[in-house]
Amino acid sequence: MKKRYIVIALCVLVLILIAGVAVAQKTQNAALAEPVVVSPTDKAAIDTFDKQVKGYIELRNKVRESAPKLSKDSTPEQIHAYRTTLENSIRSARLNAKRGEFFQPATADFIRRTLKLEFQGKDRQELREKIFETETQGVVLRVNYPYAQTAEFSEMPATLLTKLPQLPKDLRYRFVGRNMLLVDRESDVIIDFMPDALP
Amino acid sequence: MRRTHTHHFIFALLISAILFTPAPAQKLNGHSTTPLNLTLPMKDGSVRFAVMGDTGSGTAQQRDVGDMMIKYHALFPFEFVLMMGDNMYGGEAPQDFEKKFAEPYRALLNDKVKFYATLGNHDQALQVNYENFNMNGKEYYRFKKGNIAFYSLNSNYMDKKQVQWLEDELARETAEWKVMFFHHPPYSSAKKHGSDGQLREVVEPIFLKYGVDVVLTGHDHVYERMKPQKGIYYFVSGAGGKLRTGDIDRESGITEKSYDRDLHFMLFEVAGDQMYFQAISRTGETIDSGVIARK
Repeated sequence: MKKRYIVIALCVLVLILIAGVAVAQKTQNAALAEPVVVSPTDKAAIDTFDKQVKGYIELRNKVRESAPKLSKDSTPEQIHAYRTTLENSIRSARLNAKRGEFFQPATADFIRRTLKLEFQGKDRQELREKIFETETQGVVLRVNYPYAQTAEFSEMPATLLTKLPQLPKDLRYRFVGRNMLLVDRESDVIIDFMPDALP
Repeated sequence: MRRTHTHHFIFALLISAILFTPAPAQKLNGHSTTPLNLTLPMKDGSVRFAVMGDTGSGTAQQRDVGDMMIKYHALFPFEFVLMMGDNMYGGEAPQDFEKKFAEPYRALLNDKVKFYATLGNHDQALQVNYENFNMNGKEYYRFKKGNIAFYSLNSNYMDKKQVQWLEDELARETAEWKVMFFHHPPYSSAKKHGSDGQLREVVEPIFLKYGVDVVLTGHDHVYERMKPQKGIYYFVSGAGGKLRTGDIDRESGITEKSYDRDLHFMLFEVAGDQMYFQAISRTGETIDSGVIARK
């Protein structure tokens, strides 16, 4: 009888160990870590943001039809023509776009708190410096205007990208100083921005 | 008798002058170049490629590096070139593609040398569609040559999707050598940017888990070969078109060899379990060379 209990106890122990290893493997990489638990208020804000993003992508797909097709073996002239048409089409379709349509107060509040957590501590000082040293002269912070072609892009911290609301491939987050932008990946049109987002 | 001695003396002087005068130096925008000196073994069946980073300045110095690459290509016919990002600075109109890429490397393009690019922090997203960058419309991609798998990553935007893609690809990788190339260096002794600790936090565990051998990067406008970091060989080759003179922190403790006095490019040859490399300055000087044995 005693032996039976020992065997059962050992089996349970082995199962716990296996589960522990599996969890450790799953979470060992910061970029693949599970998203932080968010409150119902934050979840509602993220849902609203996701809906706005989905709406933008639908609009983008529609206006992109007017742009010339772009292959993976394009010439510089074809790339230029595609980019210019896409930029103009997006801007025309969003003539009345205003700041804060995507970064609404509740979403902006969630993002600001996320940024504050990500950038706290001495080890993150280097990260802030890297963002601030990005040469963004010429960028006009204005919704529905293109990001200056001559300006550098800030590297977006991978560990932060995991925690922010996920974006489809045609939208990107970007920093310009303390401001956080939402930018169209191919046309570089500024879709929205949050002033003083970084703590 | 005295006249004969004088003749002998003049004759000896002439012979000495001929014997000890250095080989005629070629001129390169006013700078002399050293004679070409290939240190790579040129083994049968080896994979041969070049590496250049931060090239797209469109300056005379970029063209000098291009010219030197063309000269070395005649000696060492590399099949392809890896580009470490910042392929074009300050605008990407059609004429920029010409001035900052096609024109400096025209002879290589004409010789069917393929260029594989990665995106830097100055590069627009649509470069992935450019016919001569062979990115297949993708910001991150993999290709294989011989026994080497090359992975180009977009270090500007290492999002969850990209990290997952990298993990999935490496998990099923069968190539003997695994070489990564991307723009931001996880390790660097340069003072301007230096090691990208945040990127390293994410990618290094994956590199270690799947046995990545070599990591090639740019961003800092210098040449640097790190001491192996946790068994991985890291290079910074970020001065193919721009230079930051004197930018190396020689006290960093991670440098094996560095160079910040002129622009450069690199040559690689992989034969079985050996990877030979040579870093060459704009004027043709060999600034580093060696061999890496596969783990």
